[in-house]
Amino acid sequence: MEKYKQLLNMVMDFNESVRFAAVSDSHGQLLWNSQRNGVSNIVPIEKTKSTMSRSRSEWDNYASASEHVGNGLYSITSYSKIKRITIPLSDGKMLFISVNNKPMKNAKNTSYGHLVEMGEILSIVEFVESQNF
Amino acid sequence: MSRYEKLLHMLMDYDSAIMFTAIGDTSGNILWNTIRDDSKVQVPLPEIKKTLVHESVDWITRCKIEDSDDLGRAMYHIASFEKLKQITVPLDAFHLLMVYVDNSPLNKTKTKSYGRYVEMGKIMSIVDFVNTFEE
Repeated sequence: MEKYKQLLNMVMDFNESVRFAAVSDSHGQLLWNSQRNGVSNIVPIEKTKSTMSRSRSEWDNYASASEHVGNGLYSITSYSKIKRITIPLSDGKMLFISVNNKPMKNAKNTSYGHLVEMGEILSIVEFVESQNF
Repeated sequence: MSRYEKLLHMLMDYDSAIMFTAIGDTSGNILWNTIRDDSKVQVPLPEIKKTLVHESVDWITRCKIEDSDDLGRAMYHIASFEKLKQITVPLDAFHLLMVYVDNSPLNKTKTKSYGRYVEMGKIMSIVDFVNTFEE
């Protein structure tokens, strides 16, 4: 349990554009979550829970193709206002992150959203999973 | 050549890491596709078709969420695996673009690799450009 609290704290500290982070169990049920102070929900928590459950099912579907594509690393669903990231964790759990995706004020051309540093996020996940709590 | 066939050719020309492109309908049927001859990763066509069916269902759900919640326009979905990245982009109400990009680490990578960077802005600008074409 401490491990996942630590993971959520590190993800929230990593970047201010992270609005919400949560860990689900192997059925997609929300176990722990963290929300940034001063950030209001765009989506009610009940809808986020159903999105997490659906995302967990998507990873179960992807598992059948792992022979050809390799193990799953992460998924990003990009909407014009937010990006939703899911990362399968080692024990069937899943990390869910919601990131602000609104264009920067100085964007002149059409904006397709913020760049998410997935390498950094995955290295945080790997670091926390390697720790003994 | 339809504008969507042009889209597939433009994507294949844009980046040699793109191994496969397809346009599917809302039932997951492949309407057009292109395959790079020398791609290292080979996903069997039945597996690609099965994935496209799943992705079509998932995108219908995502677009319903977009309508019911205040998330803004649904733009794209990336599923990243060790060997490839699978990108899907809804083109209009009836068509879905699917792209497989090679995700194997480059030879010169010294530290641990989490896969290759995909320039989604470039891919989305190609999609938007082709969508301005008259049929």
